[in-house]
Amino acid sequence: MPIVLPGRRPAKRFQASKILGGKMAHGRKVVNADLNVVPMVDMMTMLVIFLLMQFSATGEILYMQKDIKLPDARHGQTIEVAPVVAISQAYIVVSGQKVADVAEVDKAEVFAIPGLEEKLRDEKKRWDFIHQNDPDREKNWKGDVNIQADQKVPFRILKRVMFTAGQAGYFNVNFAALDQSNVQAVAAR
Amino acid sequence: MGGASPAPESGGGRGTKKRPLDAVINVVPAIDLLACTISFLLFTAVWTQISRLQVQTAGSGGPAVAEEKKQIQVTVTVGERGLSLSTTAGTAVEIPALGKTPDGQPVQDLKALAEKLKQIKSEYPDQSSVTVAAEDGVLYADLVKVIDAAVGVGLASVSVTAAG
Repeated sequence: MPIVLPGRRPAKRFQASKILGGKMAHGRKVVNADLNVVPMVDMMTMLVIFLLMQFSATGEILYMQKDIKLPDARHGQTIEVAPVVAISQAYIVVSGQKVADVAEVDKAEVFAIPGLEEKLRDEKKRWDFIHQNDPDREKNWKGDVNIQADQKVPFRILKRVMFTAGQAGYFNVNFAALDQSNVQAVAAR
Repeated sequence: MGGASPAPESGGGRGTKKRPLDAVINVVPAIDLLACTISFLLFTAVWTQISRLQVQTAGSGGPAVAEEKKQIQVTVTVGERGLSLSTTAGTAVEIPALGKTPDGQPVQDLKALAEKLKQIKSEYPDQSSVTVAAEDGVLYADLVKVIDAAVGVGLASVSVTAAG
């Protein structure tokens, strides 16, 4: 049984009724409650700062694929927009379109890869069309191509891809790797 | 002056109401803005940090690297037995593989390679080019690690060619 202050108190059935003019009614709970939003605003601000630091204006140039596992590199540069040649252990894909089978490329007697060369020439034509009004078009052509290969792809495939890219006018090859420079900096601390 | 006239906030005068000093800032628009910003940033966030190692195909007809003074030709050959470093200055160093992985692939001694390349860089500070010659069986991962080691010591102009 609860401990109550001595004094007048109504019977239980009158506690909630207004029969006594509400005099016996004890303090009602206030319906309006103030919610303290300061910690939430703090958390959201921290989250915004973290995400802004992660933000990349160039967006995602290379998409991680299940069948391509990239090696690590510590001294890489920021990746730039260029045609992407993805080499898994089964296929060679350019801009999301399959151009050759790795097994066929491995067996082929011709050094260049015709499907890849055609696709890269198309990409170069597209670049030329976009920059047709640029007087310094030839100077601005850097010939960059990003190669995103699985870490177990042998060099005999890579060299054919690189040769084909060179044939199509892409002589600056960028090997894609997972950036470990931040990991190294953290480990050094 | 001199405290004769009461401050308007403090009241004091007859008929003047006391203004409450507590002000409530409406944070709801701020929360809305933050929520929208977080949603946008989460959608556009790039979680995988991918970097690039720029190389040139040897003999591809690309722009030639400007010849500088006191430059030699440094060649790193990557093979199944290990690494081989040679220069036109007469240096020839063999760096044997540390062992083999369960797949049968060699584990290259990249630390030793980095030290040797660092020595060359200290002897020839103007040196910035290196040629990496890889055998057919060399994996992409090993090639990238060797290029990474070369770039790490300051030999940023890397050409890749086939060994033999």
